[in-house]
Amino acid sequence: MGNLGFLFAANAFVWAGVIYYLFTLKKRNLSLERDLQMLKEVIEKDSK
Amino acid sequence: MKEVETEETPQENYFLLLLTAAVIFASIAAIYLYVPTEKTEGPIQRIMYFHVPCAWLSFFAFFVVFISSILFLWKKDREWDIYAHASAEIGVIFCSLVLITGPIWARPIWGAWWVWDARLTSTLILWLIYVSYLMLRSQTEAGSMRARYAAVLGIVGFLDIPLIHFSVLWWRSFHPLPKVITSEGFGKGLDTAMMMTLLISVAAFTLLYFVLMGQRVRQEKLRDEIDRIKKEKLYSH
Amino acid sequence: MRQYLNQIKAIVLKDLVTELKTKELFSSMFIFALLVIVIFIFSVDLSIVKANEVGPGILWVAFLFAGTMGLNRSFMLEKENGCLEGLILTPADRTAIYFGKLISNLIFLLVMELFILPLFMIFFNIDLISFLGPLLVVIFMGTLGFCAIGTLLSSLSSNLKTREIMLPILLYPLIVPVVIAVVRMTGQILGGESLGSMMNWVGLTLAFDIIFIGVSILTIDHILEE
Repeated sequence: MGNLGFLFAANAFVWAGVIYYLFTLKKRNLSLERDLQMLKEVIEKDSK
Repeated sequence: MKEVETEETPQENYFLLLLTAAVIFASIAAIYLYVPTEKTEGPIQRIMYFHVPCAWLSFFAFFVVFISSILFLWKKDREWDIYAHASAEIGVIFCSLVLITGPIWARPIWGAWWVWDARLTSTLILWLIYVSYLMLRSQTEAGSMRARYAAVLGIVGFLDIPLIHFSVLWWRSFHPLPKVITSEGFGKGLDTAMMMTLLISVAAFTLLYFVLMGQRVRQEKLRDEIDRIKKEKLYSH
Repeated sequence: MRQYLNQIKAIVLKDLVTELKTKELFSSMFIFALLVIVIFIFSVDLSIVKANEVGPGILWVAFLFAGTMGLNRSFMLEKENGCLEGLILTPADRTAIYFGKLISNLIFLLVMELFILPLFMIFFNIDLISFLGPLLVVIFMGTLGFCAIGTLLSSLSSNLKTREIMLPILLYPLIVPVVIAVVRMTGQILGGESLGSMMNWVGLTLAFDIIFIGVSILTIDHILEE
């Protein structure tokens, strides 16, 4: 059957989509955590 | 002001993660190794095992948006707003995947990437509604107004779905009929092995939804936390 | 109850009086609808396509595009003059504000549509007069549904920075069922069928009208909250 390529293409799209979304989530998470850490440090410095 | 606990090391739910990964691998194995090839359509028919779960998942996600929106307007609790936002985003991602995998299947079977069939059309409209929902969210600043407006749209959008469904159904339809829940009963339209594979796949995607939800919700809470600290710092100086 | 109706009446009258003075909205909606029809006449070749087949679609696209302008205007004007805050501060019920706005929008759109119909009849060479009764029923039902959800969304989008852009983006996917229904019904009526033969579309449109007026009543409080 010649349509196996379509199957792989569809499957690749699905997992690429999911992994891409996971990746952006992780990236946003990291930058948010960094922001939070930075803020906490600033506050600590100020309160001293 | 209420003290909000901040988790120093964010607690990941490793059990859920592992379970999801395991079920996803099981579903991939089932799709490629276990399930028999369909006679008329050939291997391409296997697209169904992730096309249908994606569709189920996006619909489920939009249903969560609807329920969270109602609960938000009722309780005015930011928690529900976060759930609605996270779920809408995940729903749009999976709805996009449905719209991508559908044409890939349709090309060799129907001979065209896209036909204006009822189910394709209603999925496209659904996608447009929730993309506009996310646009509304991104165009307004965080706060009560954004949450209220989004909630109203979340309710209106979901209530529109049955109307869209019937209008496009009467408009035209040549999509394969649903095989899982038919008039003869649950699962009669499918072979047992196919049914099992589909169920595993649906389970995998549903678990994936909860993993993604957990991540997205945690993120939104982190953002809130940052905003809160910024605000407090501004007031104290 | 009497007081409630009076509140609605006051809002409708206020809108009508403002409009009668300037005629700004009506003239722009009318000319815009006319332009849409003219542009469409250039984009489809009427010597190949039957006017009866494309006519209903073009007519409704013109109505809806022009109607969106009207909806955009309705809450924006209030917003610009600070009138909306005034309305919210009055003891008037929020749903009365919604109904007032719904009715005035409905009146503007229906008047615009009544002026467009004869022009449509001439341009497309379609005889509307023998089907006028059912056609007006369909136009009323469709416009009501469009205004029901349009008024809700324009009250929402008037507070956004990009309101003129956001209203159509939010509105158009949601009105798909009503668009399909009215275009189909208009086409069938022009084909000589009676309203009784398309009860499913009539039911769908009425369901749309009722559901979205109901939802608006339930949710308008949360939008007009300051």
